[in-house]
Amino acid sequence: MLGFTIKLVDQNEEPSTKTVLLSTEKRSDQWSMLLVSVAETRDRRAFSQLFSHFAPLLKSFAQASRHEGWFPGLSEDLVQEVMIKVWQKSASYNPEKASATTWIYTVARNCRIDMLRRKSNTQHLPLENEDFWHEADEDTPVSLMRQKRSEDKVQSCLARLPKEQDEILRKVYLEGKSHAEASNELGLPLGTVKSRVRLALQKMQILVAPEFRDEVL
Amino acid sequence: MSTVNHHPESSMLVDFSAGNIATAPSICVSAHLHFCSQCRNELLRLDQVGSNLMSEVEPTEVGEHLFDSVMSQIDQLPKSDTAEVSSTCNMADSRYPLLVNKLINGSESVPKWRRLSRWLDVAQVTTGQNEYEVALHKICAGGKTPRHNHGGQEFTVVLKGSFSDEQAVYKEGDFLSCQPGDVHQPLGAQNGECICLSALAAPIKLSSPFGFLMQPWLRINPM
Repeated sequence: MLGFTIKLVDQNEEPSTKTVLLSTEKRSDQWSMLLVSVAETRDRRAFSQLFSHFAPLLKSFAQASRHEGWFPGLSEDLVQEVMIKVWQKSASYNPEKASATTWIYTVARNCRIDMLRRKSNTQHLPLENEDFWHEADEDTPVSLMRQKRSEDKVQSCLARLPKEQDEILRKVYLEGKSHAEASNELGLPLGTVKSRVRLALQKMQILVAPEFRDEVL
Repeated sequence: MSTVNHHPESSMLVDFSAGNIATAPSICVSAHLHFCSQCRNELLRLDQVGSNLMSEVEPTEVGEHLFDSVMSQIDQLPKSDTAEVSSTCNMADSRYPLLVNKLINGSESVPKWRRLSRWLDVAQVTTGQNEYEVALHKICAGGKTPRHNHGGQEFTVVLKGSFSDEQAVYKEGDFLSCQPGDVHQPLGAQNGECICLSALAAPIKLSSPFGFLMQPWLRINPM
């Protein structure tokens, strides 16, 4: 009797999980398609849809920054700079390598660094922050599947991280605190901060133990 | 490319992905990524973490005018990008990371090799910051560099050739991080010169008896 009940619950739960997964997949594909059409046909309507979705997220991302020299007044400047870059660079977006959200995140991070650098540099640096980044080269169909799987994995694991791991990742990625700064702020030894981050990344299967690295990649 | 054996610590890649490390160490991490597909792939996944965290924040409404302002700026964009680096310094090498060549070619003053010892040359590059000295080092084949002590952090990436120290052999793309207090004596490989890119935070101390003679040359000089 008990077994039967459990089975019923399982049956009920399965479809709903699937629906959620399907709908997020669809959602992220939608942004990627819009971005591709901005690149290919300079589609202003597609761009305005991207703008309506991403600009408010980018503004919050900008406001979360606790970088030295950053102030909230810069938030809309960052939004503008990022969206202009999105328009300009859309041709370099490859939907097979990353979702539009991930790509736009990298543009935002790079713009944020450039803005901070412009404010603090005393002298000339012959580089823009995008010069620092390389494209990942997993581009075979198998890897493409793996890429999608890893995005899903990251998303579902992030939602279930223990609070202390989640807190540090947010400090690092949103507030822009380095591991060392996070350790100071939280009053935790640097080793603890590093190991919490490492645990989180292992759960998301981002970090592979060095001895297995070659086999997996 | 698969011969890269020494990588940045994972926490450094995370800080890089989040955009939280200073310019000079970022240059070294980026140069390593040019040679290391494993770290490039890890980085892509780390970027997914950032993007997920960003897309989960509570959205903040932007000003009404913002979209129009962006569109009018877009309409005023120049048609094509003509910001190509034109001059090429003979120190650049097509097999180096693009960013290293840009640094060499874009330096305000053309970098020049300066002799530090019989076996070691150094050429500083401009990076517009003053926390680290960023330079190329050239160790000649079989060269012995002075045994030295690190007063501050140093990051090094091998761009060409190889060298060894008491710990290991470092080849193209390998990334080394020396902590304050670390002592080592790099030796150039016998089969050819070795060129490295490094970012040094504070003056290194020479630990050989006559090392003080070289001290003035090794003073940190960020540019």
